[in-house]
Amino acid sequence: MIDERMQEQASLHVLGALSKEEAAEFKKTMQANPELRDFVASLSIATGALAGTAPAVEPPPQLRAKILAQVGSPQKVVELPVRKFWPASLFPWGLAASLAVLCVILFEQDGRLQKQIGAQAEEISSLNQMAVSLQAATNNLQQSVIALRETNRLAGLQITMLNSMLTDSKATAVTLWDNQKQDGVFVVQNLKALPADRDYELWVIDENKKPIASGVFHVDESGAIRLDFKPSQFVSAANVFAVTEEVKGGVTSPTIKNMVLASR
Amino acid sequence: MNECAQADFIQMFRPFETGRPAFSFYREIVSEQDNQERDIELLRLIAAGDRTAFGEFYDRHSILMFSVASRILNDPGDAEDVLQEAFVQIWEKAANFDPKLGRPSSWAAILVRNKAIDRIRSSQRRTRLAQEAGTEMAIVAEVNESANEAIHGQDQAKLIKSAIVGLPTEQRQAIELAYFSGLTQNEISEKLHEPLGTVKARIRRGLLKLRDQLEGLL
Repeated sequence: MIDERMQEQASLHVLGALSKEEAAEFKKTMQANPELRDFVASLSIATGALAGTAPAVEPPPQLRAKILAQVGSPQKVVELPVRKFWPASLFPWGLAASLAVLCVILFEQDGRLQKQIGAQAEEISSLNQMAVSLQAATNNLQQSVIALRETNRLAGLQITMLNSMLTDSKATAVTLWDNQKQDGVFVVQNLKALPADRDYELWVIDENKKPIASGVFHVDESGAIRLDFKPSQFVSAANVFAVTEEVKGGVTSPTIKNMVLASR
Repeated sequence: MNECAQADFIQMFRPFETGRPAFSFYREIVSEQDNQERDIELLRLIAAGDRTAFGEFYDRHSILMFSVASRILNDPGDAEDVLQEAFVQIWEKAANFDPKLGRPSSWAAILVRNKAIDRIRSSQRRTRLAQEAGTEMAIVAEVNESANEAIHGQDQAKLIKSAIVGLPTEQRQAIELAYFSGLTQNEISEKLHEPLGTVKARIRRGLLKLRDQLEGLL
């Protein structure tokens, strides 16, 4: 039976709370008392759990290799037996043997150091390769992001075909409308050239059927033009695009009977 | 089933109270025993100079040991040095490990703990750390993930944590001051302004309570 005083000493011992002298004394007592030893062993479950309450921190990954390298060669150094009697006649042989052993140890250590250097060089090379590969992966990701942004931008564009409202005209047009940016591109072909005092005017008709003037243009004999346009007012949603023929400089309200192109 | 046997049965399957299947606890207990046996075997191999076994022992215990060193030293560089010293000592002194005196994991933890405390003492940071220790008592209850979680898994770590947090505050405080701050019994007595006898009794009662609660679980 371990009395309370001894249990207290054992508890302090497993927690490392005894002074050096007290710890040495306790170890002596423990060696002579198997029951006390078992009691101390039973407390290790508590100290182990206590240790585990420390916030979990993983050691740096490179530390493992460093420690493994430090413990050296696979074979531990075996202590040579010391001879008590050393006759003078054997001294030169002993010296030679010691030197030989020293040489072997130094040779072994040299080999080990070479291996360590080689292993570390390999590790550095491998890390460099990893860095290059990560850089390449980063570049690829950046390209992907750019492509995705472009795709996203294009997905937000509204593409609309405009057909001729005149039976004798082969004019066709396309608008690319970015509602977010409130601007667009208008491309037309086969449109009849107008006299100098007349202009074509582009209209965006919003969801409330309100026509919004979006720029005037003139085509030459080729009948084609590309126009970057921006409506004069905010467009909540572009429902229809249309082109009318107007007096030079355009008008504020479209002349419906002069409509030459419209989307449906 | 007689009353004694029934009581034993209830004690054995106390984890049922947590709502978890008994089988998973049984599996964890068996697994803990296997782990201990493996650790003892690894230390035997390390004592014979087996570096592969040493590497495995490192993988199994480095998180616990580094966590303890970091908790005590609060400095990653110092904690690395101490972990390195402790593992070198394990390599050199594995033959000294006596399974009759405790578990390999506890042995490894106390080994790194002692080295960390020695470092504090040598760098004369002890006074400051002892002063800080009082404010760190709540850590057990607050840390997000403990080394126990990383080692034993969340469920078991919860049980360990509840056992520790369940200790009366004055017992837990005295135990933590000894283990993590490296204070001797006299220093704890001074710090807590309590008679030495009271401190000893608190530590004894706290450790015995922890042991009794965790037995069969770890």
